[in-house]
Amino acid sequence: METWRLLRTFDGPAGWNMGLDEALLLLPAERPTLRLYTWDPPALSLGYFQRAADVPALARVPRAVRRLTGGGAIHHAEELTFSIALPADHPLYAGPVRESYLRIHATIARALEGLGVPASPRGDRPLASDRPSGGMCFEDSCELDLVWGDRKGVGSAQRRTGGRILHHGSIKLSPSEFDTQVASIRSRAPGTTPEQLADLLRLAFEKEHGIEFTEESPGPEELSHAEERAPHFTSDAFLRRR
Amino acid sequence: MRPDDRKYTKTHEWVKRSGDNVLIGITDFAVQELCSGNEGDLVYCDLPEPGRVLEAGETFGEIESVKAVADLNTPVAGTVAEVNVAIEEHLEILSKDPFQEGWMLKITPKTKNFETDDMMDAAAYEEFVASAETH
Repeated sequence: METWRLLRTFDGPAGWNMGLDEALLLLPAERPTLRLYTWDPPALSLGYFQRAADVPALARVPRAVRRLTGGGAIHHAEELTFSIALPADHPLYAGPVRESYLRIHATIARALEGLGVPASPRGDRPLASDRPSGGMCFEDSCELDLVWGDRKGVGSAQRRTGGRILHHGSIKLSPSEFDTQVASIRSRAPGTTPEQLADLLRLAFEKEHGIEFTEESPGPEELSHAEERAPHFTSDAFLRRR
Repeated sequence: MRPDDRKYTKTHEWVKRSGDNVLIGITDFAVQELCSGNEGDLVYCDLPEPGRVLEAGETFGEIESVKAVADLNTPVAGTVAEVNVAIEEHLEILSKDPFQEGWMLKITPKTKNFETDDMMDAAAYEEFVASAETH
């Protein structure tokens, strides 16, 4: 049985959230990490390569960051965010990027089954939530994305650097002001909290992949990296670098 | 069989001598890992400006597929002499012809003997990739 570290860092500010994920990606680690977290206050995140001008919502949100991972913009409210950080040759991520998504999304779908949410990869289906002009992650989809009720409910993206991987994902509990088109967990399981979803995700990773988690807090080096780098992720220079 | 006029790295870059310079690119295997045969899945590539000085192993750019952003690293130290800017606008080149049209950088190497012991010829790279595919 493999041991992973589980971090729960709920209600973190946007820049700190991204700084901590960068620490998980860049700092040496003995074990893979699954981090489950929420954002307080809510914020919009841009994908690494997105042009700021291509995301009209950016002008309307009070807070925004740019992620290290690719993909579209996400409004982080009414959701659980996860990040997975591990070596690129880990069996869960070995081989084509596409296959690693299938493995992780199958695990998330298993967790959602526990709430009666029938999540499955989009495949060739057209989605009612697709509106690609606004640059929002949940309004654009590919065949690997997890959907239910003809809407996208999980958005995720990876960063591969220095032999390590950071896999980010957002699982929507319900629509929010700037993510209005998403598939909603609460429409199937009213009252679901991020904490309940976090427990189900942990259980799914344990069952599907034989992982044993040790629940910990971020280490001192990770925390100081997150503090130090938080302003970078919210800075105009980084937000508007493209 | 991949071209045998160049060397390959375990991180799926290739390097080829071109006069006093070295051409650098990524292999078909690297492209396949990123986009699984869907050439439209490659969405962005950021390459450096000519004149930039790079150390061996340094990140010189980034490439984004629909689902992953990955670093591009140079196996050879030197100064960027030329960049294949066509790639930035036409990413499909990387899927169609990663070994000729798909070169990314032309580098003037820091030392004439830029090859290292862990670089592989085409035959060794074939074996390496075959082994990676079965794991």
